[in-house]
Amino acid sequence: MHNFTRRHFLKAFGVTSAAALTGIGCAPRAARNGAKAHVVVVGGGSGGATAARYLKQFSPDMMVTLIEPNATYVTCYGSNWVIGGFESMDAITHGYQNLRDRDGIDVIEDKVVGVDTDSRTVRLESGGSVQYDKLVMSPGIDFKYDDMPGIDEADAERIPHAWKAGSQTELLRSQLLEMPNGGVFVMVAPPNPFRCPPGPYERVSLIAHYFKEHKPRSKIIVLDAKDNFSKQGLFEEGWAQHYGDMIEWRGASDGGLVEEIDVGGMTARSDSGFERVRADVMNFIPAQRAGQIVHDVGLTNDQGWVPVNQRTFKSEMDDNIYVLGDASVAGAMPKSGHSANNQGKIVAAAIVRELMDQEPIDPSSANTCYSLITPEHGISVAAVYKYQDGAQAGVEGSGGVSPSGETSSFRRREAEYTRAWYAGITRDIWG
Amino acid sequence: MKQSRLFVAGLVASLAMAGTASKAIADNDEITRGQLMAASCKACHNAAGAEKGVPDLARISPEVIQSQMRAFRDGDRDATIMDRHAKGYTDEEIEAMSVYFSRF
Ligand SMILES: Cc1cc2nc3c(=O)[nH]c(=O)nc-3n(C[C@H](O)[C@H](O)[C@H](O)COP(=O)(O)OP(=O)(O)OC[C@H]3O[C@@H](n4cnc5c(N)ncnc54)[C@H](O)[C@@H]3O)c2cc1C
Repeated sequence: MHNFTRRHFLKAFGVTSAAALTGIGCAPRAARNGAKAHVVVVGGGSGGATAARYLKQFSPDMMVTLIEPNATYVTCYGSNWVIGGFESMDAITHGYQNLRDRDGIDVIEDKVVGVDTDSRTVRLESGGSVQYDKLVMSPGIDFKYDDMPGIDEADAERIPHAWKAGSQTELLRSQLLEMPNGGVFVMVAPPNPFRCPPGPYERVSLIAHYFKEHKPRSKIIVLDAKDNFSKQGLFEEGWAQHYGDMIEWRGASDGGLVEEIDVGGMTARSDSGFERVRADVMNFIPAQRAGQIVHDVGLTNDQGWVPVNQRTFKSEMDDNIYVLGDASVAGAMPKSGHSANNQGKIVAAAIVRELMDQEPIDPSSANTCYSLITPEHGISVAAVYKYQDGAQAGVEGSGGVSPSGETSSFRRREAEYTRAWYAGITRDIWG
Repeated sequence: MKQSRLFVAGLVASLAMAGTASKAIADNDEITRGQLMAASCKACHNAAGAEKGVPDLARISPEVIQSQMRAFRDGDRDATIMDRHAKGYTDEEIEAMSVYFSRF
């Protein structure tokens, strides 16, 4: 392993702009001077890209490097629209050009394979390394395939999770296209906590939308590891209204808790083997944990998530590392793109204030999770969070779900706002 | 209907105020709580959201933002979701965040 310095590294990659070079050689002093500090952000998803952009916005002279292995990012939000057949992959794919060109962020296409916290250095898959004053990590989730007998990661080529968007999204979509009319789609839904609590139920709604138009004799069965789920009343109201009895949801204590998946037989077994559900297309969404890299760095707790100071999202394990997004334990904030976006701003403000020797502030932010039941029927859950008594907590009397029994014009307006939310937040994250 | 009346009033006032908003906070040199709260709203209320029907708050004056947030919070303006959000903020917080939008 070469011990590349930042200067070598930049040279190796042909980065020689004056702005990029100012920070080199004064790393020790940097912690006293926000403008000259070098902040490295790991992961260019919802949380990481937001943090990088807002660091630059709050402190334009700061050096910000973003490390992300993929040239483009496909949002999970909107991926259920693709699966439902009314949106394109292109429309949910975002690049890093604006971060590079307009925001002045040094975006490096590489994967972080390790962090030496003593020398404050991240190691890259390509062999280089990058030094940091502060490190921000938003690596998202990884899956716990070990928790489900009978299936492992390689089987995702046959039974997709489609819980990281991209080729998995396209695979599930193509399986649904190939499925005969009258077929059975089975979703095995994950236990808490997991990325996007309403996501599985939006997905089956929009698969029902596709079936209703193209394969009306088909059936949808959800086998759930939980006994209730996000916005349940509103989803069930919408399912009854639009899809009759096409969607059958089985809670954990109602035979829904899957104990084994027989990949060859495309069968999920529950209830000590008494229940066997055969699928034509199966979507297994495994139990989840924080992305692998934060485990490797030693930042996780026994449950596989990263405990942080919820005021700043600084890791409880390391004074120079901040962890946000799905990977973090964030109190009442759900594992959502909107939460990750808010946390990116909170982290950016916390780092800038810390580097300027200012006290942290008690952040407050707003989250909305929209879901579509049909392309014209939107529902939402909203919340305002404040840091109080050591945790991110919902403000009493605020937030909550859309009213039940509303008119179709109300639902249509929320469907329009769902798309406005998407347009707005993706601009906020990727410019 | 109450919603449209307030909205028109809002537009008129916002046009009148557009020039003065940023001056009041130009000498600010630290990231404040109000600024961070305003940054949160920006996830939806930006130019891209505006193309799909959500107002871009950068184009609306602090006074109008304040009056509309209070109207949402107190049930004086119809909403699908802003009523649920507005209830999460005190008058002081609404005021603190309102001055930042035109600055982003
Ligand atoms: C079907 C579905 C629907 C959803 N709908 C919504 C919705 O409507 N609204 C909403 O708010 N949220 C929604 N979400 C949730 C949202 O996608 C996530 O909560 C959000 O993306 C989390 O952001 P993050 O930054 O933590 O992780 P991610 O956005 O996953 O970003 C992680 C990034 O880190 C990179 N990375 C990982 N490891 C490394 C490494 N070692 N080195 C460098 N880079 C690395 C990855 O490549 C990735 O780009 C949905 C999710 C799903 C699955």
